[in-house]
Amino acid sequence: MTSQGVRTRNLLWLALGVAVVIALPLVVKSSFAIDIFIRILLFSFIGVAWNLMGGYAKQLSLGHAAYFGLGAYTSTILQIDFGISPWIGMIAGGVVAMLASLPIGWLCFRLRGPYFTIATIATAQALMLIFLKFRDFAWGAEGTTIPNLGSAPLMMQFETKAAYYYVVLGLLAVGLAITYLIERSWMGYYLVAIGEDEDAAEAIGVNAPKIKRDIYLISSFLTALAGTFYTQYIYFIDPATAFSFSISIEAALVSIVGGIGTLWGPVIGTILLETTSTLLQSWLGSSIGGVQLTVYSLILMAVILWRPTGLMGMMREAWQRYVSRKPARA
Amino acid sequence: MWETVAQAVINGLLIGGIYALVSIGVTLIFGVVKIVNFAQGEFVMIGMYISFFLANQFGIDPLVSLVLSMPVLFVIGVLIQHFLIRRVLGPNDMPQIFLTFALSLLLLNLALMLFTANYRTVHTSYSDEAFHIAGLYIPVAKLIAFVVAMFLSGALWVFLHTTDLGKAMRAAAQNRDVAMLMGINPNRVFCVALGIALALAGAAGSLLMPFYSAYPFVGQVFVLMAFVAVVMGTLGNVIGALVASLLMGVAESLGIQYVGADSGLLVVFALLLLTLAFKPTGLGGKAR
Repeated sequence: MTSQGVRTRNLLWLALGVAVVIALPLVVKSSFAIDIFIRILLFSFIGVAWNLMGGYAKQLSLGHAAYFGLGAYTSTILQIDFGISPWIGMIAGGVVAMLASLPIGWLCFRLRGPYFTIATIATAQALMLIFLKFRDFAWGAEGTTIPNLGSAPLMMQFETKAAYYYVVLGLLAVGLAITYLIERSWMGYYLVAIGEDEDAAEAIGVNAPKIKRDIYLISSFLTALAGTFYTQYIYFIDPATAFSFSISIEAALVSIVGGIGTLWGPVIGTILLETTSTLLQSWLGSSIGGVQLTVYSLILMAVILWRPTGLMGMMREAWQRYVSRKPARA
Repeated sequence: MWETVAQAVINGLLIGGIYALVSIGVTLIFGVVKIVNFAQGEFVMIGMYISFFLANQFGIDPLVSLVLSMPVLFVIGVLIQHFLIRRVLGPNDMPQIFLTFALSLLLLNLALMLFTANYRTVHTSYSDEAFHIAGLYIPVAKLIAFVVAMFLSGALWVFLHTTDLGKAMRAAAQNRDVAMLMGINPNRVFCVALGIALALAGAAGSLLMPFYSAYPFVGQVFVLMAFVAVVMGTLGNVIGALVASLLMGVAESLGIQYVGADSGLLVVFALLLLTLAFKPTGLGGKAR
């Protein structure tokens, strides 16, 4: 097949996929199912944001909850204290997250490998502790509920779950589009070069500190959008949810399981992990704590030990085996 | 005023001894095997549960069950190195960081499934005893834990500096390639390093049991503290980790005393971030 043909085929698949996800809430009416779809889209989006920095540039952060939380708190404070719409608050949260990523990045990027990972954990935990401590400023440990206005699309509040579904679908589309564009730009190549060998990349003239700073800005901005959306969706915010370590974990987990540093990896990874978790819950009930993460960690270990390229790598290999078995066409 | 400060410093030093056992383990593994063990805290948790069940079922004192928890964790360490970590040693960071991270998640959540989130405590005859010296309050259980922790740290130092195996481990830590050329079997050295590190974590668990509750998440407290201490004391440096752990304990304790009960960790994180900002290679000094 010619490369033109491959591109046409890929576009057709993409169009089909888009049609299916847009039609999904029109066909599936169960709010339980839509809730799961929303979780899948949300964590795919967080994974996509993480993957830009963690996947392509291999800056393995376990502190992205910092930006999720900053996004969530910025829009909530603007909404409750100043009556500003979360749509504006969402962008404001993204900007706050970008501003925060500058000093955090300045600190953490001086470190490599595991030092970097530990430093990112510490910054996210420190932010959580700050929000727990300062109650006059942001409700302290009890958190607060978001006033329910009923149907208020301008305040990012909707009557149907389907509407939330489309909002988060839009976010994911933006995240994937940004990843697609970066992957094909000079920046994408620089990121991969830094991920492969930072010293070698610098030796051939890649300005690694600047590239890392820029991708961190983009990654933290997107993660903050997810924070605002999540708070609006569950109508509640407290430091333990907004800065939850499990957000940082899941962002990295879905990307690694799906295929680190690939466009669709985080999406595929989230679909697998969230489906597994839903099946487990319907099978065992949610009464026993720890089941979900036990299974997640086993999947993660299996991927690391046997398929470090994740599900995307497995699918690519399977596809190549299938193609090579077919007789070549002229 | 002076007595409050002294009391806070003593409380900090006593718990710092436990932090030292955990961080010496982390730093030993990092120095020799060049990986960060994110699961170190979970091995403290396992040590605690071993001592809890022995005390609960057979009435064995946690300080006695130390002689069981240490060898059990040593064996677990050797197995983990041989069957898991050995497979991800290579130039790539991702599998190394996330393998031990996955192990930590796995052990934590298995504990949650098996033992539930309940707090388990062991009450010993000396749990409520304390010395009163010059107006200072020194709980016996914490003092014993501190003394044993210092003894174990000292024993490790002697082992690393006087025995052939210890010297081989230090050689492997300094330059793995040259050590291998000198005929040191890396996997054997790595297995021993993992075993010793986990045995220290197990010891920390048993020593904690007379005055601290066991629950599945308990390791997270200690591992965070250990990471901070290890980064401050320069990754891979045993003495640095020991000194930094004691400092961490004191800093946390002073934080609780003067900033507020929930601020101990905040002070510790602030110290970590300051260290990273001004001396990224740690207090121990030299750049890697």
